[in-house]
Amino acid sequence: MSTMTLEEPTVSDAEQHEVTAFVYREARLADEARYADWEALWTDDAVYWVPRAEGHDPNTHVSHIYDNRTRLATRVRQLATGYRYSQEPASPMRRLLSNVEVTRTDDGYEVGSNFILTEIVAQSTHAMRVWAGRSTHRLRRIDGALKLASKKVVLVNGDEAIPTLAFLI
Amino acid sequence: MRIERLSPASYRELIQPDRVHGSLYTEPYVFEDELDKIFHRGWVFVAHDSELPNPGDYITRTVGRQHYLVVRGQDGAVNVFFNRCQHRGNLLCNKPTGNAKSFACPYHGWTFGTGGELMDVPHAGGFEKDWTKLGLEVPRSGSYRGFIFASAAKDGVSLDEHLGRAKELIDRACDLSPTGTLRLTAGWVRHEYGANWKMLPENDTDGYHVGFTHQSFMRAIRSQYDSFVSDEKAIKGVIRDWGNGHTEIDFAGGYTTPLEWLGTTPEKVPEYVAALEQANGKERAAQLMHLGPPHACIWPNLFLAEMNIVIFQPIAVNKSVQWHTPMLLEGAETLDFRLMRQSEGALGPASFLVADDASIAERTQQALEAGDPWCDLSRGMNREEVDERGVRSSHMTDETSNRGFWQHYLQVMGG
Repeated sequence: MSTMTLEEPTVSDAEQHEVTAFVYREARLADEARYADWEALWTDDAVYWVPRAEGHDPNTHVSHIYDNRTRLATRVRQLATGYRYSQEPASPMRRLLSNVEVTRTDDGYEVGSNFILTEIVAQSTHAMRVWAGRSTHRLRRIDGALKLASKKVVLVNGDEAIPTLAFLI
Repeated sequence: MRIERLSPASYRELIQPDRVHGSLYTEPYVFEDELDKIFHRGWVFVAHDSELPNPGDYITRTVGRQHYLVVRGQDGAVNVFFNRCQHRGNLLCNKPTGNAKSFACPYHGWTFGTGGELMDVPHAGGFEKDWTKLGLEVPRSGSYRGFIFASAAKDGVSLDEHLGRAKELIDRACDLSPTGTLRLTAGWVRHEYGANWKMLPENDTDGYHVGFTHQSFMRAIRSQYDSFVSDEKAIKGVIRDWGNGHTEIDFAGGYTTPLEWLGTTPEKVPEYVAALEQANGKERAAQLMHLGPPHACIWPNLFLAEMNIVIFQPIAVNKSVQWHTPMLLEGAETLDFRLMRQSEGALGPASFLVADDASIAERTQQALEAGDPWCDLSRGMNREEVDERGVRSSHMTDETSNRGFWQHYLQVMGG
């Protein structure tokens, strides 16, 4: 499932801590529907991608989400209108991150992590849903601070029938 | 009102010209009756030719409770089978797609060829029956311009009669390809709704909700739909009931520039324009670039969703799945990336449009569970027009399409 290229850890404990803190924060901002704060994490050339399955190519496979920076901004703008009925109100949700693996890249880090997320479908059925998968964050250090250059989320059930996914995954 | 069983007469009570009863969306008995009369006995879309390019390529699909195995045989022809072993009924093939020379049942090893013939029965000494009579069961099937349909009924109207004028809608989609051929090769996104299946085709040809359900989209970004949510008199789209349950929103009247429906201009996609002109001549190409794709539901489970193809799958009385794949065009591969991104933007669980439709449908389902509400369908009854072919048209926001859907439903269920 992972796109990790190296088997052995290549980062220091301090780096591991900093990078892990970043992905935890990203998760919390998404969980709490803090749209502007979440959007501020991203680089100008960001890609936010939820393929249907591992190994898919966005040039030949349709995805659930394949946002460039412009579309990501539109997504956040739509959520903030107050009329995004599939997230009105925003789903109460919390995700747990685990199995974090960090490798160094040319300009930052690649972070793999598993998640389990529980969501209340507050817009319609009020059912509790469980989502799970593995995320790959690519972080870039810009002027000393980490920014999110890409996030790829492969759901366990991405190539099955899945319910509405209008929140930030 | 709670209903134990429905007679044809009770459908006539529940479906009136200007309103339908909410129990039709919530009664499990109605759902079972629909599976039988609409999804098993009637013609349904099962696959597209382009999904099976090579001999041995196969797809499995479930429509209602029928499991289909669609295979391109070694002779190049597409065969549609019931996906069950002729021995003890095991689901013969369990994968969604693949390529095979034969299909071996995992239960006792009976093996069938890509033409459906029974090739092998292990330990044949104890089995005296005539193998030639035990090939895979074959439903009626047929195709039109690459769209493959099946019917589980032994007899009934022909596919030709069922499609009727809807062939024009399929033509409108296919003609956008310079070779007249669609490529459904990008895979399918499947979106689960906690709502009755009928709300999908009804909503997909409802021109009234666009400016309301989708107002967050309209507020967040400019799009080709902006001119369809303005003042009632300024909206130039047309709603149509084509008969046989086939319904349409025609956006063409509201487009002011060529390729507006593609979110672009001819200058930005010169390869496509050149290919379309070479294949059709300049005049016809200009017409195609203005008209754009159909936005039309082909009864009961196929939706030509502009530059997407959609399948409606009924799961339970309150559960459905909407499938979609981008409608890629042979001879216009340079558009693929754009079409895939537009597909993700419009349709599916995380899309800018349909995610909201699904939540609205789930809320409707919840409210209708009360069992006794009526749903009003009268909008536009005062201003419809019927042309010489019998096609009924009205203002884009009118419920002409949904009335057409229900009148055909009544004919199938209560006729």
